Amino acid sequence: MNNFPGKTFIVARHEFLKTIKRKEFIFMTFLFPLLFAGITILPAVLSGMNQAEDQKVGYIDMTGSLGFPESIQSKGFSLEPSEAKTSVVEFVIYKDISDARQALQAGQISSYLVIHEDFLKTGTIELYSLEKEASMQNFELSAELSNIVITSLLKDKVDELTLNRIRDPVNIRFYNVGESGESSEQGIADIFASFGLPFLTAFLLFFSIFSSSGFLLRGVAEEKENRIIEILLSSVTPSEILTGKIFGLGAVGLLQVVIWLAAITLGSGYALTVKIEPVTLFLAIIYFIFGFLFFASVMAGIGAVTSSLQESQQIAGFFTFVAAFPLIFMQMIVTNPDSLFSVFLSLFPISSPVAMLARMGTTSVPLYQILASIFILLISVYVVILLSSRLFRTYLLMYGKRPKVKEIWKNIWTGSR
Amino acid sequence: MYLILMHTIEFENVSKSFSEKSVLEDISFSVRQGEIFGLLGPNGAGKTTLIRLLLDIIRPDSGEIRIFGDFLSPAAKNRIGYLPEERGLYKKTRLLDMLVYLAQLKGIPKKQAHLNAESLLKSLELDQYRNKKVEELSKGMQQKVQFLSAIIHEPKLLILDEPFSGLDPVNTKTVMTRILGLRAAGKTIILSTHMMEQAQSLCDRILMLNKGRRVLYGPVDDIRKERGNNSLIVEFAEKGDLKAIREISGIKKVIEHGKLVEIFPEEGISAQILLEELVQKANLIRFEKTLPSLNEIFIQTLESASNE
Repeated sequence: MNNFPGKTFIVARHEFLKTIKRKEFIFMTFLFPLLFAGITILPAVLSGMNQAEDQKVGYIDMTGSLGFPESIQSKGFSLEPSEAKTSVVEFVIYKDISDARQALQAGQISSYLVIHEDFLKTGTIELYSLEKEASMQNFELSAELSNIVITSLLKDKVDELTLNRIRDPVNIRFYNVGESGESSEQGIADIFASFGLPFLTAFLLFFSIFSSSGFLLRGVAEEKENRIIEILLSSVTPSEILTGKIFGLGAVGLLQVVIWLAAITLGSGYALTVKIEPVTLFLAIIYFIFGFLFFASVMAGIGAVTSSLQESQQIAGFFTFVAAFPLIFMQMIVTNPDSLFSVFLSLFPISSPVAMLARMGTTSVPLYQILASIFILLISVYVVILLSSRLFRTYLLMYGKRPKVKEIWKNIWTGSR
Repeated sequence: MYLILMHTIEFENVSKSFSEKSVLEDISFSVRQGEIFGLLGPNGAGKTTLIRLLLDIIRPDSGEIRIFGDFLSPAAKNRIGYLPEERGLYKKTRLLDMLVYLAQLKGIPKKQAHLNAESLLKSLELDQYRNKKVEELSKGMQQKVQFLSAIIHEPKLLILDEPFSGLDPVNTKTVMTRILGLRAAGKTIILSTHMMEQAQSLCDRILMLNKGRRVLYGPVDDIRKERGNNSLIVEFAEKGDLKAIREISGIKKVIEHGKLVEIFPEEGISAQILLEELVQKANLIRFEKTLPSLNEIFIQTLESASNE
């Protein structure tokens, strides 16, 4: 690495600017947050809009035994109890179906219910509404109707407490017990934050590492394929090219990760009022840096040895497959985060960045395992950079047929130039 | 007064092999400052390997290489321009951006790189394409751009590997004029080529390689004289003048081709003496010392090497 950072910096800046102008980068980086926003924010906004609307519901009770109240407070679904908005549902009784239908068509009611005489036998209640007004509220009414039916059937047969338990039998609450014995309650949002977000982070980490190191592979293979590499090598050393590319594209990946994490934090903050733990954020970035360095070096070695982009992508595919193991076995990691297999995946350098973040979401990973995983990754990064730069030096200018594995193996250790 | 000849390049007993196959064997030569030095040889002779050694892209197994009087340093590398045989450009990058990037990699500050690029583009009438992507340019233009990328940083030593391959006659002339202009400006140029005609007319000295060995080395004129058979071509205005030759002593053999005659003088008889005598006796249109072309020498050398 002669006169660092001079030429290395020039290569890094060139790679950074070239990549962030690529359509693929812009698409991946900005489309994802939009999709995430689409998935999280939009339904919350839409359901919020629905909940605010009061409504009148007609009913025809042919059994004559169900006692409908005049109105009820309907609670919409929300991940945060305090956030739930209520609306008033007013019930209007009708003697026959044709009256109810006329009222519906005249807009006096938003829907009407028909409870047939054989209700006790079938349990069926029919709900009629105008086609264009079919909404989530009609489904939410189902829970309210169950309460009304239970109350009507059991009102005089059991006491008030029992009635409440039959209506709402179990209300499960989740607690965490800390190391010193103190306990704290978890809400649904907390569960999503500790499981969903690290899972999402792990998933994004995988994409980010592979899109940036993929750009590196593509860059090296293209420069070799179009022969500009020879001009570059007449000005800079292979190490300067390699280091410059890794720094430039690493910065691209980091920028992507930061944009995504910011989008998740903002998006989830809006929809769930949760925050990603700073430790998770910190580790996500650490794992990105080491994971990227590891894969970027592997990709650079592959790009140098192969003679075309297509060939290089085929070989790179094998490594991507191994690295995707944690995603493929995510179910196993999530359900059994402390199993030998999960621990192995979170220590093995190819899969550790993604697997460790996924485990952290579901269990409290012992500190020594996190440190061991980072340490193993760090050592692997060092070895891979060393070997890869040898391949880079030896094979950058060899065109035509791919060298034999035996020959590559020899040069990896001797690094001839 | 002593005339000190500064050597831009010195190779001393340099050898290089790949996977136990010898590519260059014990090569020694030097290139003087301000000359055009031809690097000749058939395919696989080791020319590209020699150039890569010069650029420190690869290292020799044994021997010493000195450039600008010293072992190759990153600073010295910045003073070398290189046009590789395998042409390559960033196809999707804007012309100006690419030239600036390549100049920066040669240690030229960004502002200066911009100025150099603008002025070179103008001189080759390419300035209107400065914001075009390289892939949008015609093949001829791309070749000119390739040449520009080798000289954008105003190198002291320029290595041109097959600079004329694929060029049309107009572009060939443009590049030739540029090369001569660079020599006039005191730059040292290494010209690796198959085109013997161009090598003969451009090069001051040459090194010819065959199978990794040095087979010819020295000034082009000396090599041609050494290889020549020392004959003279004489053309008379009238056929009757032919008899004048018989009146002159010191001629070993004469071959007649109509009004043209090939004369082989005896040992020690100079062309100058013969000319003086002939002018007195006949009306001459042409009197020419014949020398074999570099192309003939190239073919002869390779044939005799393959017979060995």
